Amino acid sequence: MSRALQKYLDQVIIYANRKEEDSEKIRAELEDHLRQKISDLAAQGIPREDAVFQAIEDHGTARTVGYSLRRGFALLDVRTEGTARGFVAIGPRAVGIIAFGNIAVGLFAFGNLAFGALAFGALTIAGFLSIGGISLAPLGAAVGLAAVGQGAFGMIACGGLAVGLQVPWAIDGVSLLSGDNGLQFLHHFQTHEGIVALIAITAWLFLVFPLLNGVMYSIKRNEYLRIEKADPKLIE
Amino acid sequence: MTRLSKQTLDGNVETLILAVLEAGPSYGYAIVKDLNERAEGILKLGEGTIYPVLYRLEEKKLIASRWHQAENGRQRKYYRLVSKGHKALATNRQQWQMLSAAMGKVLGSAENLLPKPQVKGATI
Repeated sequence: MSRALQKYLDQVIIYANRKEEDSEKIRAELEDHLRQKISDLAAQGIPREDAVFQAIEDHGTARTVGYSLRRGFALLDVRTEGTARGFVAIGPRAVGIIAFGNIAVGLFAFGNLAFGALAFGALTIAGFLSIGGISLAPLGAAVGLAAVGQGAFGMIACGGLAVGLQVPWAIDGVSLLSGDNGLQFLHHFQTHEGIVALIAITAWLFLVFPLLNGVMYSIKRNEYLRIEKADPKLIE
Repeated sequence: MTRLSKQTLDGNVETLILAVLEAGPSYGYAIVKDLNERAEGILKLGEGTIYPVLYRLEEKKLIASRWHQAENGRQRKYYRLVSKGHKALATNRQQWQMLSAAMGKVLGSAENLLPKPQVKGATI
Protein backbone atom coordinates (compact mmCIF):
# COMPACT_ATOMS: atom_id res chain seq x y z
CA MET A 1 0.00 0.00 0.00
CA SER A 2 2.53 2.56 1.13
CA ARG A 3 4.97 1.50 -1.58
CA ALA A 4 2.96 3.49 -4.15
CA LEU A 5 2.85 6.42 -1.76
CA GLN A 6 6.60 6.31 -1.06
CA LYS A 7 7.37 6.03 -4.76
CA TYR A 8 5.16 9.04 -5.51
CA LEU A 9 6.87 11.09 -2.79
CA ASP A 10 10.30 10.02 -4.07
CA GLN A 11 9.38 11.27 -7.53
CA VAL A 12 8.06 14.59 -6.22
CA ILE A 13 11.32 15.15 -4.35
CA ILE A 14 13.39 14.23 -7.42
CA TYR A 15 11.58 16.82 -9.50
CA ALA A 16 11.59 19.45 -6.73
CA ASN A 17 15.39 19.15 -6.53
CA ARG A 18 15.68 21.12 -3.28
CA LYS A 19 18.37 20.98 -0.62
CA GLU A 20 18.30 17.80 1.46
CA GLU A 21 17.11 19.60 4.58
CA ASP A 22 14.21 21.25 2.70
CA SER A 23 13.40 18.00 0.92
CA GLU A 24 12.95 16.13 4.20
CA LYS A 25 10.53 18.75 5.54
CA ILE A 26 8.56 18.93 2.29
CA ARG A 27 8.35 15.16 2.13
CA ALA A 28 7.12 14.91 5.74
CA GLU A 29 4.44 17.52 5.09
CA LEU A 30 3.20 15.93 1.87
CA GLU A 31 3.21 12.48 3.45
CA ASP A 32 1.11 13.72 6.35
CA HIS A 33 -1.34 15.26 3.87
CA LEU A 34 -1.62 12.10 1.79
CA ARG A 35 -1.94 9.76 4.77
CA GLN A 36 -4.75 11.82 6.22
CA LYS A 37 -6.50 11.96 2.87
CA ILE A 38 -6.19 8.16 2.54
CA SER A 39 -7.68 7.72 6.02
CA ASP A 40 -10.61 10.02 5.15
CA LEU A 41 -11.30 8.19 1.89
CA ALA A 42 -11.07 4.83 3.63
CA ALA A 43 -13.50 6.09 6.28
CA GLN A 44 -15.94 6.85 3.44
CA GLY A 45 -15.84 3.16 2.53
CA ILE A 46 -13.33 3.29 -0.32
CA PRO A 47 -11.02 0.24 -0.29
CA ARG A 48 -7.64 1.24 1.10
CA GLU A 49 -5.70 0.46 -2.07
CA ASP A 50 -8.08 2.55 -4.18
CA ALA A 51 -7.90 5.31 -1.59
CA VAL A 52 -4.12 5.49 -2.01
CA PHE A 53 -4.39 5.92 -5.76
CA GLN A 54 -7.20 8.44 -5.49
CA ALA A 55 -5.27 10.48 -2.92
CA ILE A 56 -2.25 10.52 -5.23
CA GLU A 57 -4.38 11.45 -8.22
CA ASP A 58 -6.05 14.32 -6.36
CA HIS A 59 -2.66 15.54 -5.22
CA GLY A 60 -1.41 16.07 -8.79
CA THR A 61 1.26 14.39 -10.90
CA ALA A 62 4.69 14.07 -9.29
CA ARG A 63 6.18 16.20 -12.03
CA THR A 64 3.66 19.04 -11.66
CA VAL A 65 3.91 19.10 -7.87
CA GLY A 66 7.68 18.65 -7.85
CA TYR A 67 8.38 21.38 -10.37
CA SER A 68 5.97 23.75 -8.60
CA LEU A 69 8.01 23.25 -5.43
CA ARG A 70 11.14 24.63 -7.06
CA ARG A 71 12.24 28.13 -6.19
CA GLY A 72 10.57 30.95 -8.17
CA PHE A 73 13.53 32.17 -10.19
CA ALA A 74 16.50 30.01 -9.31
CA LEU A 75 20.13 30.58 -10.17
CA LEU A 76 19.98 27.39 -12.22
CA ASP A 77 16.75 25.70 -13.31
CA VAL A 78 17.10 22.53 -15.38
CA ARG A 79 13.97 20.63 -16.44
CA THR A 80 13.31 17.61 -18.58
CA GLU A 81 9.73 18.75 -19.28
CA GLY A 82 7.93 22.08 -19.45
CA THR A 83 9.40 25.54 -19.11
CA ALA A 84 12.56 26.21 -17.12
CA ARG A 85 12.86 29.63 -15.50
CA GLY A 86 16.01 30.88 -13.87
CA PHE A 87 19.16 32.95 -14.20
CA VAL A 88 20.42 29.98 -16.20
CA ALA A 89 17.41 28.09 -17.58
CA ILE A 90 17.72 24.78 -19.39
CA GLY A 91 14.74 22.77 -20.61
CA PRO A 92 12.49 22.02 -23.56
CA ARG A 93 11.39 25.65 -23.18
CA ALA A 94 13.63 28.04 -21.32
CA VAL A 95 13.28 31.59 -20.06
CA GLY A 96 16.23 33.19 -18.31
CA ILE A 97 19.22 35.44 -18.53
CA ILE A 98 20.99 32.52 -20.19
CA ALA A 99 18.37 30.27 -21.79
CA PHE A 100 18.96 26.95 -23.50
CA GLY A 101 16.09 24.95 -25.00
CA ASN A 102 14.12 23.99 -28.05
CA ILE A 103 12.51 27.36 -27.57
CA ALA A 104 14.73 29.77 -25.68
CA VAL A 105 14.06 33.32 -24.58
CA GLY A 106 16.77 35.22 -22.77
CA LEU A 107 19.51 37.77 -22.80
CA PHE A 108 21.67 34.96 -24.19
CA ALA A 109 19.43 32.44 -25.93
CA PHE A 110 20.45 29.10 -27.41
CA GLY A 111 17.87 26.95 -29.16
CA ASN A 112 16.10 25.75 -32.23
CA LEU A 113 14.04 28.86 -31.83
CA ALA A 114 16.05 31.47 -29.95
CA PHE A 115 14.97 34.98 -29.04
CA GLY A 116 17.24 37.33 -27.15
CA ALA A 117 19.76 40.11 -27.10
CA LEU A 118 22.23 37.53 -28.34
CA ALA A 119 20.79 34.41 -29.92
CA PHE A 120 22.33 31.26 -31.30
CA GLY A 121 20.40 28.45 -33.00
CA ALA A 122 18.40 27.29 -35.99
CA LEU A 123 16.00 30.22 -36.20
CA THR A 124 17.24 33.17 -34.22
CA ILE A 125 15.94 36.64 -33.60
CA ALA A 126 18.21 38.92 -31.64
CA GLY A 127 18.66 42.55 -30.74
CA PHE A 128 22.43 42.66 -31.10
CA LEU A 129 23.89 39.43 -32.41
CA SER A 130 22.09 36.58 -34.06
CA ILE A 131 23.88 33.47 -35.23
CA GLY A 132 21.87 30.70 -36.83
CA GLY A 133 20.45 28.99 -39.88
CA ILE A 134 18.02 31.81 -40.37
CA SER A 135 19.02 34.76 -38.29
CA LEU A 136 17.46 38.11 -37.84
CA ALA A 137 19.01 41.00 -35.95
CA PRO A 138 17.16 44.16 -36.91
CA LEU A 139 19.45 46.35 -34.82
CA GLY A 140 22.65 44.33 -34.84
CA ALA A 141 24.70 41.70 -36.60
CA ALA A 142 23.22 38.57 -38.11
CA VAL A 143 25.24 35.56 -39.22
CA GLY A 144 23.56 32.62 -40.92
CA LEU A 145 22.58 30.83 -44.08
CA ALA A 146 20.01 33.56 -44.37
CA ALA A 147 20.83 36.68 -42.40
CA VAL A 148 19.05 39.96 -41.99
CA GLY A 149 20.47 42.76 -39.88
CA GLN A 150 22.37 46.01 -39.72
CA GLY A 151 25.36 43.80 -40.43
CA ALA A 152 24.40 40.62 -42.26
CA PHE A 153 26.75 37.78 -43.11
CA GLY A 154 25.43 34.74 -44.96
CA MET A 155 24.49 32.87 -48.10
CA ILE A 156 21.55 35.19 -48.33
CA ALA A 157 22.32 38.43 -46.58
CA CYS A 158 20.24 41.52 -46.31
CA GLY A 159 21.11 44.62 -44.33
CA GLY A 160 23.15 47.77 -43.90
CA LEU A 161 26.37 45.86 -44.45
CA ALA A 162 25.52 42.63 -46.21
CA VAL A 163 28.05 40.00 -47.14
CA GLY A 164 26.61 37.25 -49.33
CA LEU A 165 27.76 34.75 -51.91
CA GLN A 166 26.02 36.19 -54.93
CA VAL A 167 25.17 39.73 -55.99
CA PRO A 168 21.36 39.40 -55.94
CA TRP A 169 21.51 37.86 -52.50
CA ALA A 170 23.49 40.61 -50.91
CA ILE A 171 21.05 43.44 -50.81
CA ASP A 172 21.78 47.03 -49.81
CA GLY A 173 25.43 46.53 -49.18
CA VAL A 174 28.64 44.96 -50.26
CA SER A 175 29.07 41.43 -51.53
CA LEU A 176 32.14 39.42 -50.61
CA LEU A 177 32.34 37.50 -53.86
CA SER A 178 31.15 40.01 -56.39
CA GLY A 179 31.93 43.71 -56.74
CA ASP A 180 33.68 43.61 -53.40
CA ASN A 181 36.35 41.04 -52.68
CA GLY A 182 37.62 39.73 -49.38
CA LEU A 183 40.28 42.40 -48.97
CA GLN A 184 37.93 45.18 -49.94
CA PHE A 185 35.49 43.89 -47.38
CA LEU A 186 38.16 44.04 -44.69
CA HIS A 187 38.62 47.73 -45.46
CA HIS A 188 35.36 48.26 -43.65
CA PHE A 189 37.16 47.15 -40.50
CA GLN A 190 40.25 49.34 -40.84
CA THR A 191 39.42 51.40 -37.79
CA HIS A 192 40.36 50.15 -34.31
CA GLU A 193 36.68 49.76 -33.37
CA GLY A 194 36.06 47.83 -36.56
CA ILE A 195 38.85 45.38 -35.84
CA VAL A 196 37.66 44.86 -32.27
CA ALA A 197 34.11 44.26 -33.58
CA LEU A 198 35.41 41.77 -36.13
CA ILE A 199 37.40 39.88 -33.49
CA ALA A 200 34.46 39.87 -31.10
CA ILE A 201 32.07 38.53 -33.72
CA THR A 202 34.55 35.88 -34.79
CA ALA A 203 35.17 34.85 -31.17
CA TRP A 204 31.44 34.50 -30.53
CA LEU A 205 30.95 32.58 -33.71
CA PHE A 206 33.79 30.12 -33.35
CA LEU A 207 34.53 29.97 -29.64
CA VAL A 208 32.18 31.40 -27.06
CA PHE A 209 28.80 30.39 -28.47
CA PRO A 210 29.73 26.79 -29.26
CA LEU A 211 31.53 26.51 -25.91
CA LEU A 212 28.51 27.79 -23.97
CA ASN A 213 26.30 25.57 -26.05
CA GLY A 214 28.42 22.59 -25.03
CA VAL A 215 28.28 23.54 -21.33
CA MET A 216 24.47 23.91 -21.49
CA TYR A 217 24.12 20.55 -23.19
CA SER A 218 26.32 18.94 -20.57
CA ILE A 219 24.21 20.36 -17.69
CA LYS A 220 21.03 19.19 -19.43
CA ARG A 221 22.45 15.71 -19.85
CA ASN A 222 23.43 15.57 -16.18
CA GLU A 223 19.85 16.40 -15.19
CA TYR A 224 18.53 13.57 -17.36
CA LEU A 225 21.07 11.21 -15.80
CA ARG A 226 20.15 12.34 -12.27
CA ILE A 227 16.47 11.63 -12.84
CA GLU A 228 17.13 8.41 -14.71
CA LYS A 229 19.41 7.18 -11.90
CA ALA A 230 16.72 7.92 -9.31
CA ASP A 231 13.92 6.34 -11.32
CA PRO A 232 14.54 5.11 -14.90
CA LYS A 233 10.80 5.10 -15.63
CA LEU A 234 10.73 8.91 -15.34
CA ILE A 235 12.84 9.20 -18.49
CA GLU A 236 10.91 7.70 -21.35
CA MET B 1 -20.68 21.74 -12.58
CA THR B 2 -18.60 24.43 -14.28
CA ARG B 3 -15.44 25.16 -12.33
CA LEU B 4 -13.22 28.20 -12.38
CA SER B 5 -10.33 27.91 -14.81
CA LYS B 6 -6.72 27.90 -13.63
CA GLN B 7 -6.16 31.32 -15.22
CA THR B 8 -9.03 32.81 -13.24
CA LEU B 9 -7.76 31.24 -10.05
CA ASP B 10 -4.12 32.24 -10.49
CA GLY B 11 -3.24 35.12 -8.27
CA ASN B 12 -6.28 34.61 -6.06
CA VAL B 13 -5.26 31.39 -4.35
CA GLU B 14 -3.00 33.33 -1.99
CA THR B 15 -5.94 35.45 -0.87
CA LEU B 16 -8.15 32.40 -0.44
CA ILE B 17 -5.55 30.73 1.75
CA LEU B 18 -5.13 33.89 3.83
CA ALA B 19 -8.91 33.96 4.28
CA VAL B 20 -8.96 30.36 5.50
CA LEU B 21 -6.15 31.07 7.96
CA GLU B 22 -7.99 34.12 9.26
CA ALA B 23 -10.20 31.71 11.19
CA GLY B 24 -7.18 30.26 13.00
CA PRO B 25 -4.05 28.17 12.52
CA SER B 26 -4.39 25.23 10.16
CA TYR B 27 -2.34 22.77 8.10
CA GLY B 28 -2.15 21.85 4.40
CA TYR B 29 -4.75 19.12 4.15
CA ALA B 30 -7.26 20.97 6.35
CA ILE B 31 -6.75 24.19 4.35
CA VAL B 32 -7.52 22.42 1.06
CA LYS B 33 -10.54 20.68 2.58
CA ASP B 34 -11.83 23.92 4.06
CA LEU B 35 -11.36 25.79 0.77
CA ASN B 36 -13.18 23.12 -1.23
CA GLU B 37 -16.04 22.99 1.26
CA ARG B 38 -16.46 26.76 1.45
CA ALA B 39 -16.39 27.08 -2.35
CA GLU B 40 -19.05 24.35 -2.65
CA GLY B 41 -17.32 22.59 -5.52
CA ILE B 42 -16.77 25.67 -7.72
CA LEU B 43 -13.06 25.53 -6.92
CA LYS B 44 -11.13 22.32 -7.37
CA LEU B 45 -7.54 22.84 -6.38
CA GLY B 46 -4.86 20.31 -7.20
CA GLU B 47 -4.09 19.46 -3.59
CA GLY B 48 -0.33 19.30 -4.07
CA THR B 49 -0.17 22.71 -5.68
CA ILE B 50 -1.24 24.45 -2.47
CA TYR B 51 2.18 23.91 -0.87
CA PRO B 52 4.21 26.16 -3.18
CA VAL B 53 1.65 28.89 -2.43
CA LEU B 54 2.00 28.31 1.31
CA TYR B 55 5.80 28.46 1.04
CA ARG B 56 5.56 31.64 -1.00
CA LEU B 57 3.27 33.26 1.58
CA GLU B 58 5.73 32.26 4.26
CA GLU B 59 8.63 33.80 2.33
CA LYS B 60 6.61 37.01 2.01
CA LYS B 61 6.12 36.84 5.80
CA LEU B 62 2.34 36.92 5.47
CA ILE B 63 2.06 33.66 7.37
CA ALA B 64 4.27 31.78 9.82
CA SER B 65 4.58 28.07 10.47
CA ARG B 66 5.46 25.70 13.27
CA TRP B 67 5.70 21.92 13.52
CA HIS B 68 3.50 20.25 16.13
CA GLN B 69 2.78 16.66 16.99
CA ALA B 70 -0.64 15.74 15.64
CA GLU B 71 -3.15 13.50 17.40
CA ASN B 72 -1.99 10.54 15.30
CA GLY B 73 1.58 11.03 16.54
CA ARG B 74 2.94 12.36 13.25
CA GLN B 75 4.66 15.72 12.98
CA ARG B 76 2.41 18.25 11.30
CA LYS B 77 3.18 21.73 10.03
CA TYR B 78 0.68 24.37 11.12
CA TYR B 79 0.37 27.75 9.47
CA ARG B 80 -0.99 30.93 11.03
CA LEU B 81 -1.69 34.41 9.78
CA VAL B 82 0.62 37.18 11.05
CA SER B 83 -0.09 40.91 11.18
CA LYS B 84 1.32 41.58 7.70
CA GLY B 85 -0.94 38.82 6.39
CA HIS B 86 -3.99 40.34 8.08
CA LYS B 87 -3.26 43.66 6.36
CA ALA B 88 -2.69 41.98 2.98
CA LEU B 89 -5.94 40.05 3.35
CA ALA B 90 -7.88 43.23 4.20
CA THR B 91 -6.44 44.98 1.13
CA ASN B 92 -7.07 42.03 -1.18
CA ARG B 93 -10.58 41.58 0.16
CA GLN B 94 -11.41 45.23 -0.51
CA GLN B 95 -9.91 45.05 -4.01
CA TRP B 96 -11.83 41.89 -4.77
CA GLN B 97 -15.12 43.35 -3.54
CA MET B 98 -14.64 46.41 -5.72
CA LEU B 99 -13.79 44.27 -8.76
CA SER B 100 -16.68 41.93 -8.06
CA ALA B 101 -19.10 44.87 -7.79
CA ALA B 102 -17.84 46.36 -11.04
CA MET B 103 -17.99 43.03 -12.87
CA GLY B 104 -21.47 42.43 -11.50
CA LYS B 105 -22.67 45.78 -12.82
CA VAL B 106 -21.24 45.14 -16.29
CA LEU B 107 -21.79 41.41 -16.71
CA GLY B 108 -24.72 40.81 -14.40
CA SER B 109 -24.67 39.41 -10.91
CA ALA B 110 -23.47 35.89 -10.12
CA GLU B 111 -27.04 34.79 -9.38
CA ASN B 112 -27.77 35.07 -13.13
CA LEU B 113 -25.18 32.37 -13.78
CA LEU B 114 -26.80 29.80 -11.53
CA PRO B 115 -29.37 27.46 -13.10
CA LYS B 116 -32.92 28.73 -12.62
CA PRO B 117 -35.26 26.46 -10.63
CA GLN B 118 -37.72 24.56 -12.82
CA VAL B 119 -41.38 25.28 -12.03
CA LYS B 120 -43.72 22.36 -12.68
CA GLY B 121 -46.53 23.09 -15.11
CA ALA B 122 -45.10 26.44 -16.08
CA THR B 123 -45.78 27.48 -19.66
CA ILE B 124 -44.06 30.00 -21.82
